[in-house]
Amino acid sequence: MSEQLDLFLVGLSHKSAPIDVRERVALSGDALKAALAELRAMDGVGEAFVVSTCNRVEVFVQASGEGPARHFFTSRAAQATEHLYVKQGAEAVRHLFRVASSLDSMVVGEQQILGQVKEAYGLASAVSAAGGFMSRLCNRAFVTAKRVRTETDIGRGATSMSQVAVDLVGKIFGDLEGRAILLVGAGKMGALSAKALRVLGADAVLVTNRSPERGQALADQVGGTFRPWEQLEDLLTEADVVIVSTGAPTYVLTQELVRRAMKRRRHRNLCLIDLAVPRNVDPACADLDEVYAYDVDDMQKVVSANHEARRSEAVRAEAIVEAEVMAFAQERETRAALPVLVALRKRAERIARAEAQKTLAIAGAGLDERGRRSVEAMAQAIVKKLLHAPTSRLKEAAVHGDDDLPGAAAALFDLEQEDPPPRTHRAGGHAAARTAASPEKTK
Amino acid sequence: MSLDLLRIAAALYVVATGGYILYFARPRHVLAARFGAWVLSFAFVVHLASIGLACKEFGGLEWFTLRGGFVLMAWLLVGAYLLVLRFYHLPSVGAFITPLVLVVLVPQIFGDGGAGAVARDTARNPALTLHVISAALGVALFGIAFGVALMYLLQEREVKGKNFGALFSRLPPLRSLDNLTQRLVRLGFVVFTVALVAGQFMAHKVWKGAGWLDPQQVYSVTVWLLYGAMVQLRHAGWHGRRYAILTMIGFALVMTSMITLRVVPGFTLHAGTYAPAVTGAPPAGPGGTP
Repeated sequence: MSEQLDLFLVGLSHKSAPIDVRERVALSGDALKAALAELRAMDGVGEAFVVSTCNRVEVFVQASGEGPARHFFTSRAAQATEHLYVKQGAEAVRHLFRVASSLDSMVVGEQQILGQVKEAYGLASAVSAAGGFMSRLCNRAFVTAKRVRTETDIGRGATSMSQVAVDLVGKIFGDLEGRAILLVGAGKMGALSAKALRVLGADAVLVTNRSPERGQALADQVGGTFRPWEQLEDLLTEADVVIVSTGAPTYVLTQELVRRAMKRRRHRNLCLIDLAVPRNVDPACADLDEVYAYDVDDMQKVVSANHEARRSEAVRAEAIVEAEVMAFAQERETRAALPVLVALRKRAERIARAEAQKTLAIAGAGLDERGRRSVEAMAQAIVKKLLHAPTSRLKEAAVHGDDDLPGAAAALFDLEQEDPPPRTHRAGGHAAARTAASPEKTK
Repeated sequence: MSLDLLRIAAALYVVATGGYILYFARPRHVLAARFGAWVLSFAFVVHLASIGLACKEFGGLEWFTLRGGFVLMAWLLVGAYLLVLRFYHLPSVGAFITPLVLVVLVPQIFGDGGAGAVARDTARNPALTLHVISAALGVALFGIAFGVALMYLLQEREVKGKNFGALFSRLPPLRSLDNLTQRLVRLGFVVFTVALVAGQFMAHKVWKGAGWLDPQQVYSVTVWLLYGAMVQLRHAGWHGRRYAILTMIGFALVMTSMITLRVVPGFTLHAGTYAPAVTGAPPAGPGGTP
């Protein structure tokens, strides 16, 4: 028996390793290409690909052991050893499917990771580190991720404060074309939200602050216009979305101020987002008609609720992943059984032909063309009939994921001696490496 | 025959409503909304065929009964919504409009259709045809405005009450709903004006200047004034919740006027017959009170 190639994963992620370890082993671009080439050249490695993002570095290899993948980490950072996790076979497949489906992400359901896995595969494929097996594995992972995204609500609902602000404003105004956002105070959260809100297409960002210097600096940072603090009431009539985050210990926007502004606005909708603690917007403002006021707690509640909802959707997503892992395993088994069948048929045909020739050499002289053909046909027919039952049994075994039978058949018919598995390190030669005698193990 | 077709159309409307409601409950199923729109369009065509057949069967007299009016109105309601869909991508509105269509249409598929007690000569009058069609279209537009205003109020309650649940994520933005209500009211007002002028023209012709004292006329003018005021108020900056409530009140008034004027005997002069009336006489025939 030749050595068996199996899928190994060695990696570390935000769950297992701190950032200072992750950043030592994270690679991108040419460095990653070089690392892939290096991996591929190592003894016992069939194919490889590496997912390297800010939250995880994971090395997937189809190899005879985890050694080469582990070496990838230990050669870069000795301290990585204690943070590594190792998975093999179906476990590794499941892990990849979960990662691609964003079930293992810091924010469950985020969409970036799928793109990153696709990119990782593309890169490995470009440098010929990934071949047929990785291609099937990754494509299945992408299919799984797509199913998870379309069949569950895992990607729904904002999971950050700025995203919640965008959602809220979107539900009030649709988009912000022709409208202005007002930033009151120079708080960091305010600037972040204002930047996020630009996706809604606001025409202008107005900034006001008690200290003109800081206000001007913030305006430059967010690409807005600074306006003096004294114009606050005028600004409230100009802007439709107001983000307040000053360090003031009292209400900056009182109900009276907002009421006056609303009158001047002719009651056009006004959205007030208070990101300050202590609060800067009088909660009584929300009682005014056409004023929609939210504070940090309101936004945080949405974030928590959405996280909770995603967690419950994740349960459904896990079921999809599980089904896909099983489907992938079954597909591998079927493929594993095929080389045995092909080798068996070839061998049988060869025997039939040889025996027919032998017979014809002895007794063929008295036969005409038709008689000779009949002898050949009889030999083939006997072989075919004999192989009929084993062929169907092998196919059945493959469908049911039984990988013992192909191995047994190979041993019984002594197939491996006839077709010794060539060990190759060429990506394209991978399919040939999986011969009758080396069915891929998934369990 | 026309009634059978109408029943098929109603069944298709039920299917379309199912599609839209499924989409509303599970917005992931975008196909359900698309399916709903297809079935709705198909039902619209079947409904039209039924109307055409009814015209043949009853010589166009059916439209002068309350029943016929509702059938016509339901068709126009669907047509107006399909038109809205072309300009605004708001499939979730379908979940509010299609049930309204069913409420209007389903009671009409039971019992027999039939001609109103309108004299054939009167029915042939183009002014009367214009009056009936524009009135039905006006009511249909107000009907959609009613549905959209209801959606506005629901969404406003979610947004204002910080209740970011299922309705919040499914209903369109407040501004889109508000703009759509306003446009529907404005268009409805224009169409209703046409209906009113044509109706007044008819009244003068058949009643020989019976004047402005008929309850139907008073009611119609009130509704017209209300919607006219709404168009004006919009220019004065009215919008949002108050506007949505006004829209809903307006439609409720329209519906009560449509029903009471026809159902209560002797309430209006013509009682759906559009015939010269003798004051105080009972309605001229059963067609006026289906």
